[in-house]
Amino acid sequence: MNHFKMPPQIVRLVLLTLVVVGSYGVARRLLVPPSFGEYGWFRGAAIAELAQTKPVLAGMKSCDECHSEILQTLAKHDHKTLSCESCHGASRTHADDPDTKPPKVKFADSDCLRCHQSNFSRPAWFKQVDPYEHFRGDHCTGCHMPHQPKDTP
Amino acid sequence: MNFVISRRRMLGALAGALGWIASQPVAKASKATVQKLLAGSPAPKGYDPTQHKWLMCIDVDRCIGCGLCVDACKTENHVPEASSFFRTWVERYIIKKPADGGNDVRGEVLVDSPNGGRGGFQPSLVPREEILRSFFVPKLCNLCEHSPCAQACPVGATFDSPDGAVLVDPTYCIGCGFCIQACPYGCRFMNPHTKTAEKCSLCYHRITRGLKPACVEVCPGHARIFGDLKNPVENDPIQEFVRKNKVFTLKPHLGTDPRVLYANMDKEVR
Repeated sequence: MNHFKMPPQIVRLVLLTLVVVGSYGVARRLLVPPSFGEYGWFRGAAIAELAQTKPVLAGMKSCDECHSEILQTLAKHDHKTLSCESCHGASRTHADDPDTKPPKVKFADSDCLRCHQSNFSRPAWFKQVDPYEHFRGDHCTGCHMPHQPKDTP
Repeated sequence: MNFVISRRRMLGALAGALGWIASQPVAKASKATVQKLLAGSPAPKGYDPTQHKWLMCIDVDRCIGCGLCVDACKTENHVPEASSFFRTWVERYIIKKPADGGNDVRGEVLVDSPNGGRGGFQPSLVPREEILRSFFVPKLCNLCEHSPCAQACPVGATFDSPDGAVLVDPTYCIGCGFCIQACPYGCRFMNPHTKTAEKCSLCYHRITRGLKPACVEVCPGHARIFGDLKNPVENDPIQEFVRKNKVFTLKPHLGTDPRVLYANMDKEVR
């Protein structure tokens, strides 16, 4: 018969270690998000959550669904690089439900001059005017049509 | 030494095992509850981030400084109105002529960005005779391959998504602001309403739906070009851009390896 008896302090130490390690394991299981490490050292579900926000700008494709005629006109003229929402403003509510009127934009000369006012910092290829020398009418739109800027209304 | 298991011990062990099995659904449920408290409901999937690699290219020569991108970004991402919060902004560089008889070929560099370039730029007050060169530079998150902000985050809320976007998980961000200090490009800010760090997400909610980022959508000069390296389209604008231009990145000496490429950029741009 082996008379060796485990000393009680060792037993207590082993039990204490087991409790500490065990509670760490339980806490880790509970606290680490389920999708952690799916793609890397972060919560993988965050990617899908961030993608859920609703867009505010509709994008030119959705404008093309109804207003393709205007887009075709635009594509033939110098303003072809512009997107609808560059001038008309964010219009997703209108694109989702055409009955909702898009935000009414009052076009002012400052909207044209924002891009076309002569400024030494702008690239030289870009069409610029000095509004005080160039201006002949009441408004820019008196001589230039926004969708086909070289044509007179 | 022979083991004799008494009836009492055997029954105790069996009861323990049964209890452990019975507790499993409870453990699962409690884990789900804790997670729900911590992070809200898990979102549905449908977009695979490993199948994309987004890239932004900027042609400085095509930026006309209208600031439409800044406006669109503020609207699209509900960025606070105040003039210190921007996810993207436009800087005006003015390089003055060097002093006569000096050793420099290019003089003093002036950089300004009134209200982030929002609403466009008025002509500079610097007399034209003193200006050697002037141009606009649109700025945004540089989409670093080795992003200092993600390394600085103590809770793993900022991360490099496999599709190339560097994102902030707002449910885990503790608002300590380390990432704001870590970003060498100054692309981050603390949202005063949510008290979490915010930055350009490449309009993540748009690109995952197949739309362009808001700034790219409205840019009238096509100064910003956006594309997917893993899914090139016909006449891919990104491929064309890198074929036709000499491309640069901002602060290459930092080893952040940005994925925002600039063309026609002067050495003064930082």
